[in-house]
Amino acid sequence: MALEYILIIFLIISLIISFAIGANDETMAPLYGSRILNIKQILILAAIFAIAGAILLGEGVAKSVGDKILLLDYETLSISQDAVVMTILISTAIVLILSSALGLPISSTHATIGGIIGLGLLLGGGEGVNWNTILEMSIWWLASPVVGYTVTYGVVKVLNKHKLKHLKGFQAYERSENKYSYVILIIICITAFSRAGNDCSNAVGIVVGVGDDINITLLLIMTGFGLAAGLGVLGRIVIKNLGKMTELRPSTAFAVQVPTAAVMLIGTIQKIPLSGSHLLVASLVGLSKANNSPMKKGLWKIIAIWLLTFPIAAILSIILYFPINLLI
Amino acid sequence: MKLLKEKKNELDEINKEFLAEILNGSALLHEALSTFINDKLKKESLEGVIQTEKKCDELKDRYTQVLFRDKRALPFLVEDRYNILMMIDTVNDKMEFFSRFLQVYPFKLYKEIKDEFTNLYSACSQAVEELVNCAILIETDFDGAYKITYKIEERKREARTAKFNLLEKVYKMKDDPTKIYLTSKLVTYIYDIVAWVEETSDYLRGLIIRYPTR
Repeated sequence: MALEYILIIFLIISLIISFAIGANDETMAPLYGSRILNIKQILILAAIFAIAGAILLGEGVAKSVGDKILLLDYETLSISQDAVVMTILISTAIVLILSSALGLPISSTHATIGGIIGLGLLLGGGEGVNWNTILEMSIWWLASPVVGYTVTYGVVKVLNKHKLKHLKGFQAYERSENKYSYVILIIICITAFSRAGNDCSNAVGIVVGVGDDINITLLLIMTGFGLAAGLGVLGRIVIKNLGKMTELRPSTAFAVQVPTAAVMLIGTIQKIPLSGSHLLVASLVGLSKANNSPMKKGLWKIIAIWLLTFPIAAILSIILYFPINLLI
Repeated sequence: MKLLKEKKNELDEINKEFLAEILNGSALLHEALSTFINDKLKKESLEGVIQTEKKCDELKDRYTQVLFRDKRALPFLVEDRYNILMMIDTVNDKMEFFSRFLQVYPFKLYKEIKDEFTNLYSACSQAVEELVNCAILIETDFDGAYKITYKIEERKREARTAKFNLLEKVYKMKDDPTKIYLTSKLVTYIYDIVAWVEETSDYLRGLIIRYPTR
């Protein structure tokens, strides 16, 4: 197949991936839940930061997919690495789009790793996957919601004590909540900005590998628009669903968002693949418990989709590998 | 954010005007009842209560219009204030209903129940006044507002005692059954105002208790 056609196909796939990632981006959910902004304003803001983050931070973050987990000798087994990478990314995109359509936030990392495990088992058998790394990561996957829950629970309790002591009327609450509104708005915008920069690497990575003549800036702009489109079309469902999981106010949104951002930052520095979605949901549960406020019934659906992410992504990547391999 | 602040200021202004009207209505009702027990019912005062209710309805409509003028997300406090306003408006509705009833009440009050009746309507007036104070105080002083909610509870107890003392006397009377029935209704309707005031103050107390965890 001519290089131009391959490039066009890769570009389309890259756009689909960025759309899928944008569709499952729940960063703005606390803003919606605490009603600092309405959904229209949130989507506009999210789109701006998605595009800005992709353009300004996206360059140079193209990362390899599954280096540490897949133990495949591509040359000996005569396997196309491009086909493997593309299969993983497309299966991830499909899982993300499906869960977003249901309004359920999942971890894109988990979906990716599910796809990698599926292909590793298909192409290399039991030895195609680095199980030690998977086991090491699993500990963090289990630990991150616990950390999110515990930290938020503690922060909310401290915050409540502070409110009880210092806030003596509606007006004092109003002033306090207004301040939190600005703080949380800034934090979430920064998170959305950096997340867009990081997320677009998954989409851009496959196209960058096709050839040297690619205009990276144009590619990043496209990816940014893909993220924004995903947010606008399906992301709104995820944002609304997660934002309404429990009663949120600007101060409690702060109590949810700050531990999530801090734990994610530590995870990134320590190169631990934590899930922002898992942390955020666990933090919301922590908030609900600390405040004795009810949780929405959909929590079990989210946990179920978390557990199903791996097998679904694995099966999907096995099914998709054959046609993609033929195409490449 | 600036628009939101402007909107909030407008809501605060309407709310203040609304509470002032409620106090005015309560004072007019008190005046009407003071004249009623002396068999010289001042119907203008009752008409004043009815007019106050109309003004309050207009203010309530304005409040709702400002709230939903643009489909902006609302801060949670606005919601709570709106609920308070709606509950206090029901107090006003009950005062208006009572006034209309008193306008068409065709008898003079039994002399035997005048003292108890005075106790009942005094408790009613005080309860409404305290509720308005509580609604004002909740803005700046939870502790003060919290204490007032207990005073309102006390008013309800006083009103309940007065109501049953009145009903006991009224039911023992050997008079025209229609007059006895309508007098018992008169007593019940005025007690309903106090009962609703107390329910509203319970809601306010609930808010005060819940706020630190909101």
